[in-house]
Amino acid sequence: MMTAPMERIQVLDSIEKDIITCLHSAGQVFVELSKEKSSLKQAENHTQTFLKTLSSVENKLTEQINYLTQVSTGQPHEGSGYASQKVLQMAWHRLEHARSRVNELERLKLKHIQGGRRNIPPNGQGFGGSVPPGSTT
Amino acid sequence: MSGARALPQSKEALLKSYRTRLKDDVKSMLENFEEIVKLAKGEHDTQLSRMTQCEQDTYEMHVRAANIVRAGESLMKLVSDIKQYLILNDFPSVNEAITQNSKLFRTKQAECDQKLMSLRDDMAADLYDLEEEYYSSLNK
Repeated sequence: MMTAPMERIQVLDSIEKDIITCLHSAGQVFVELSKEKSSLKQAENHTQTFLKTLSSVENKLTEQINYLTQVSTGQPHEGSGYASQKVLQMAWHRLEHARSRVNELERLKLKHIQGGRRNIPPNGQGFGGSVPPGSTT
Repeated sequence: MSGARALPQSKEALLKSYRTRLKDDVKSMLENFEEIVKLAKGEHDTQLSRMTQCEQDTYEMHVRAANIVRAGESLMKLVSDIKQYLILNDFPSVNEAITQNSKLFRTKQAECDQKLMSLRDDMAADLYDLEEEYYSSLNK
């Protein structure tokens, strides 16, 4: 779905391409006329393209300038997307904080597993770190 | 008050200058194109010798072709200026762009928070089991 802000810029892009087509057609006309056996029909076709493109460029640009005359005021635009940007940034920070805490938990778990492998208690329970001897009930 | 009134006038003058530039450039392209095609006929009853007339026509064609290119480049500059003016002053589009961006950011923030909440719920469930295991074990 084309958004309105980008639509106008894309129309202006297409106007730029039309200007280039226009210049190219004019060049083709002269190339055709400069040949020894020039085809009049080709030259006429290119001329028609040149005139048609130039006219469409003029019309489109006039339309754009008319639109701008209607919507422009003298004031600068003071809107901003900063508030929602900041809200997203804070959500990202929350996520990063949760991620760092989960990573820390993971690290602790690995440390305990390695510690548990080194000191396997006699009753076979591998739960937690070093189990002090004589702590059974 | 006169300051606020003076600014729109300069915007009006700017837009008027855009119209003038457009008109002049299109007129220049058309005229020069027409003149080159007329010169290409090559049938002149002139007082100059044929060689000199040819040289003169060649030079004139070069200059007119350069004029066509200059007018084309001036039109490209005009389009670029209009783009710039549009980005800065077209309030409906700017408003819509800001609204869309705000909506996108808030949607992403809601997604982030939703994922965090589901993570919290999963961890709470696991913690419940872990606590039960811990407090019922002999090794507190």
